[in-house]
Amino acid sequence: MPVTEREQLAAAGRAAGLRLTAQEVADLLPAWKRYLGLVEELRAAMAPEDWDDGG
Amino acid sequence: MTAVEALTSAPLVEIARSLRRRKVSPLELVDAYTQRIERASGLHAFITPPGERARQEARQAERRLSRGEAGALLGVPIAVKDLFATRAIRTTAGSRILRDWVPSHDAAAVARLREAGAIIFGKTNLHEFAYGVSTANPWWGVARNPHDPTRSPGGSSGGSAIAVVAGLCAGALGSDTGGSIRVPAALCGCVGLKPTFGAIPLEGTIPLGWSLDHAGPLARTVGDAALLLNVLTGFDPGRQAGRASTRGVRVGVLKGSIVQKVQPRVSQRVDAAARALRRQGLRVREVTIPEMEWTVATQLVTLRAEASAVHSRWIRTRPRAYGADVRIRLQLGALVAGADYVLAQRMRGRLRAAIGRVFQDVDVLLLPTTPITAPVVGERSVRWRSGEEPVDGALVRLTAPFNLTGLPALSVPFGSAAGLPVGVQVVGQWMDEARVLAVGRLIEGLAEEERPV
Repeated sequence: MPVTEREQLAAAGRAAGLRLTAQEVADLLPAWKRYLGLVEELRAAMAPEDWDDGG
Repeated sequence: MTAVEALTSAPLVEIARSLRRRKVSPLELVDAYTQRIERASGLHAFITPPGERARQEARQAERRLSRGEAGALLGVPIAVKDLFATRAIRTTAGSRILRDWVPSHDAAAVARLREAGAIIFGKTNLHEFAYGVSTANPWWGVARNPHDPTRSPGGSSGGSAIAVVAGLCAGALGSDTGGSIRVPAALCGCVGLKPTFGAIPLEGTIPLGWSLDHAGPLARTVGDAALLLNVLTGFDPGRQAGRASTRGVRVGVLKGSIVQKVQPRVSQRVDAAARALRRQGLRVREVTIPEMEWTVATQLVTLRAEASAVHSRWIRTRPRAYGADVRIRLQLGALVAGADYVLAQRMRGRLRAAIGRVFQDVDVLLLPTTPITAPVVGERSVRWRSGEEPVDGALVRLTAPFNLTGLPALSVPFGSAAGLPVGVQVVGQWMDEARVLAVGRLIEGLAEEERPV
């Protein structure tokens, strides 16, 4: 179970089929964290919408 | 300076006219440009400079001109960003991966240039695979701004902008996924037009982001851009622009938080352009579009996912064949979740609706093309009162909204600040290039009298 952000990123990379070295994971980490922050901001900016399970 | 040398930096329409009137021959022109390219090699404008093939095309054009044949660009040397496939001419996309690719067919946009009689005049430098805005290319040379070689020309069509401004061709073809025509046009001091999404076909152009990619011209004048647009689209928005009146046109000057982080010397030029337009009888008012605040995040998620899809195979099998910055972007793109992409498309819809509402009250938007003038090569961040912003993000903050919405957007030089060019951006409604160009032409004419003291 990946615990640290670095481990989470390495696991996500493996799941996506990327062959990341430990150094590459370290290089990607700051930009990945910024990306996650931006997505979180986008999510917060979208007003919640009413929806149901009706398809 | 000889007459032909003087002509190398003239507007394209003047060059085409001189060719038609046989005041200069295509071969003389090609040779004069070639000499200039050799002298300007330190700017790294070209990946594949025009060689003997361009001289052969010049001789063919000369024969056609002597027979009195017509062609809007007959004998005119046009440089092409090395993202567009060119038959029998190496096409690298600025990469190492494609360094030896020689296509068997022209991209559709290149074919249209050839049909109009243009000489395909070399392949220009770009950010690797067009994925970045510096044109600091690790394989083909770090491109340099012709106004100050310590500074960046912008990108990704940096080589095309350099070639136009430094007088190394008569006009150029570029592509724009987040600002890649308009940003280098603004930083180098030429005209750059991103037309409406889909107006110029992209067959044979190496994609970056399918829903964001546009082709378009870089040129020395708005009239030149209009002529190239006519050729590239196959219809005549440029000619319509020549006839369009600008009197009473409603101009919305963009204000609000999105333009707060703009260098004062840049915003002063935009305000000066707005004042000048008002004096010409245009109806100028201020507008805000708060949803533009989400441009960078929306563009980032959309482009990372789409670019990663384009490069899906190579980024997994040959990651080290990419330069470091592009490799990181593509690897991060492979991690974009489907839900995040959908989220970005929902925000994109909101942005489109917000801009659409503003266009109920105005005909064109006016805003800076870039918040800053050309950064020093290698500069990573811009410092604002509210904090730091990555240079790459800052450079596309005001251009990317119109890739997300597909609206036509033109960058026109409007003077300079501290010796560096400033571009103002005119944005129109879907397929309204004629009005965008007409307002751009007016701004161009006013630039001289509005020159800061």
